[in-house]
Amino acid sequence: MSSGEIFIVVLITAIILVSAALVIAMLISPRSTNAQKGEPYECGIPTRGTSWMQFKVGYYLFAILFLMFDVETVLLFPWAVIMKSLGTIGLFSVLFFLFILVLGLAYAWKKGALEWK
Amino acid sequence: MEERSVRMEVKDIYIRNMKTEDFNDNEYLEKYIAELRQNGMNVICEKLDDVINWGRSNSVWPFTFATSCCGIEFMCVAAARNDFARFGWEVTRNSPRQADVIFVSGTIVHKMAPVLKRLYDQMAEPKYVIAIGSCSISGGPFKDSYHVVKGVDQIIPVDVYVPGCPPRPEAMLYGMMQLQRKIKLENFFKLPNKPTITDDGKTEGGNK
Amino acid sequence: MENIQKYILSLAPDAKIEEAQYLTATIAPESLRKVALGLKEKGFDYLMCLTGMDYKDSLGVIYHIAPSDDEKNVVVLKTGTPDRETPTLPTVSDIWEIANFYEREVHDFYGIIFINHPDMRKLFLREDWKGFPFRKDYDADPAINPIPEKIPSCESFETVPTYSINADGKLVKTESTLFDRKEYVVNFGPQHPSTHGVLHLRVSLEGEIIKHIDPNFGYIHRGVEKLCESMTYPQMLYLTERLDYLCGTMNRHALCMCVEKAAGIQVPMRAQYVRTIIDELTRIASHLIGWACMCNDMGSITAFIYGMRDREKIMDIYEETTGGRLMVNYYVVGGLADDIHPNFQNRVKEFIPYMRKMIKEYHVLFTGNPIAYGRMKNIGFLPKEKAVALGVTGPSGRASGWACDVRKIEPYAAYDKVNFEEVVHPTGGTFDRYMIRLEEIEQSLRIIEQLIDNIPDDGFRAKVPAIIKVPAGEYYQRVENARGDFGVYLNSTGDKNPYRVKFRSPCLSLITALDPLCDEEKIADLIMISGSLDYVIPCVDR
Repeated sequence: MSSGEIFIVVLITAIILVSAALVIAMLISPRSTNAQKGEPYECGIPTRGTSWMQFKVGYYLFAILFLMFDVETVLLFPWAVIMKSLGTIGLFSVLFFLFILVLGLAYAWKKGALEWK
Repeated sequence: MEERSVRMEVKDIYIRNMKTEDFNDNEYLEKYIAELRQNGMNVICEKLDDVINWGRSNSVWPFTFATSCCGIEFMCVAAARNDFARFGWEVTRNSPRQADVIFVSGTIVHKMAPVLKRLYDQMAEPKYVIAIGSCSISGGPFKDSYHVVKGVDQIIPVDVYVPGCPPRPEAMLYGMMQLQRKIKLENFFKLPNKPTITDDGKTEGGNK
Repeated sequence: MENIQKYILSLAPDAKIEEAQYLTATIAPESLRKVALGLKEKGFDYLMCLTGMDYKDSLGVIYHIAPSDDEKNVVVLKTGTPDRETPTLPTVSDIWEIANFYEREVHDFYGIIFINHPDMRKLFLREDWKGFPFRKDYDADPAINPIPEKIPSCESFETVPTYSINADGKLVKTESTLFDRKEYVVNFGPQHPSTHGVLHLRVSLEGEIIKHIDPNFGYIHRGVEKLCESMTYPQMLYLTERLDYLCGTMNRHALCMCVEKAAGIQVPMRAQYVRTIIDELTRIASHLIGWACMCNDMGSITAFIYGMRDREKIMDIYEETTGGRLMVNYYVVGGLADDIHPNFQNRVKEFIPYMRKMIKEYHVLFTGNPIAYGRMKNIGFLPKEKAVALGVTGPSGRASGWACDVRKIEPYAAYDKVNFEEVVHPTGGTFDRYMIRLEEIEQSLRIIEQLIDNIPDDGFRAKVPAIIKVPAGEYYQRVENARGDFGVYLNSTGDKNPYRVKFRSPCLSLITALDPLCDEEKIADLIMISGSLDYVIPCVDR
């Protein structure tokens, strides 16, 4: 089987397994609802106030930085798989890519975005 | 033939390494089966029910809930010497929506009662309650107090009572095994859908 | 003591002085603040115990005060008011900070209003509770206070009344709210794996930083002190083990000693030695579970399993001699319930080198771990003055540099016959509180070693009458619990039931220290700090 066919088989199996689990659970599970079940859980006490409020910008910075480096990692995986066939030129391209991101990291470090304040 | 199959029923509930004769309380299960039959539920478990209940009873996830001294013996059951991981119960969930059983260990007082009721309501079906220790069975040594609920079954329905003050870890394991037997009896496909209770007290829906 | 007597009389000339167990001065409410401020200036900065009393014709409060550097000199102040409709007394919460919570407790149980107290909410009971339970004329009809169905709204948790006297001499009540409408308040609920019991903390957060913590107690309040008033002395012993169940034997020891001293019963030395050994084993078991739970809260489940494994060995020793694991039920008034098992000494002697080896293993497993050290290193510093003002005794107080070990100050049982070190660290951080527990296990092993081979042979129980009646009077007994200074105040009228029993809880101080310790820390550090303080909630709620 070619890699394209394997991919399609894996994709279809994944979809079938996940939907089977969800559908079977939905069909045969016992169910009941009451007023408390719909409410958020906060250690047994009702919540206070609204949750739509101003939140600290530190969370946003943390999320952005994580996203950047996560995407960088994801982009590194395909290169790692075919590293040998790309040879030295590929290595230097990837190193340049990493260098740009390291510059970004150094800037964030220096500006104190990595500390929680 | 009905009686023969009832006895076959109880004998067939297999708990690993423990014989049915060694359990102290088999009459309760036989009465339970008779009552379920009377209410029209088909108790003779088919193979599929057997398999599902085997899976369910061996992976009941407790809710981390402990108010006082019995909670320490609960921790001892979870620790290495009396290990409830060998029953599949070790994954204690902190959120009620992911938990199957709530071990009510410790005294429940008037201030804690609505909190416990709320946590029990937030648990997802099917859910079970094991009342550990004399405080949750009847108020225990504090039953004369002005602030103690005299038995947690005044607030939530209880499946298994484990007496003691505090009960030994082995006693709690026995209580867990009794709950496993109760689970194995259930006909999973005909588990009752409990009625929906709306905020103003009206009920709708019910058993199918 | 003569000086203190003269000093009090100079501040309040109409004071009635008596020399009971401690120097006791009964003063009028008008001079209470003057005397309290004067004593505080003289160095009496540790408020040990604040007990509410119902004298049938009046309601009163008893203060046990001591200087933190010389705790043997205890002074007792008593005051009261005959008004039972709206009893008022001046507050001392600006003099001793722990009185903030103690006075809330007295308000809860007796209805006494403390003028100018900043936060006169109830401490244990719900705001809608009718009646004052510890008064002698309380109506305990369950129909008056049924099991509540709904959790009270946030407003009732957060409305803070304060009472003051205006220019006309009238009592004025002002209400404010604890948290602003815009503040983000999270419930660290009663049901939480890391709160070591049912403690409800309302935490006001700004992002990850904690601004204010408001503890809510009462979720395991069983009314033990009120129950004891209807029980005989042997029946009361059973309840003391359920207060702070991890060091149950030490609590029971305190009550036994109180009754024995009051009734004049001489306990044989064999019983005293065995009581000391079992107390120290309980201290080791309690520190083990405190360490195990603290590490578990940080995520190290291995440490939890190790700590519980070693604690099971102590449970085995208990079970062989006494039949019980957690609740040992071994001490009775007059000595022990039965003699020790013949195997007891051998098992304890085997346990000591095993435990020493295990402590080394714990240090290797956890203490040196860079993640653990990083999480504990620079957070939660409690200076010594704050520890004294809040009454934080025990390992947490000793980690702040306060030498407050009752075993050294007022030695009881066999503690005056052994050499051991009182471990004190000057810095007061979370890491110090962590290390002190492991070092105290070593000291406990030293104590047991010195006693285990020399147990005398003079009987395990003194002769006590079938019905134990304590002569009329007031008695106070202190014991070094695994968490601090545990005290029992007993007021008897000569009957077979006590008139009033009060248990001084060390854990209440530990929780009141949470707010100052966690100011401007992250919420993850709250878990570490509360793990290092190691409190047990039923001891607070009684």
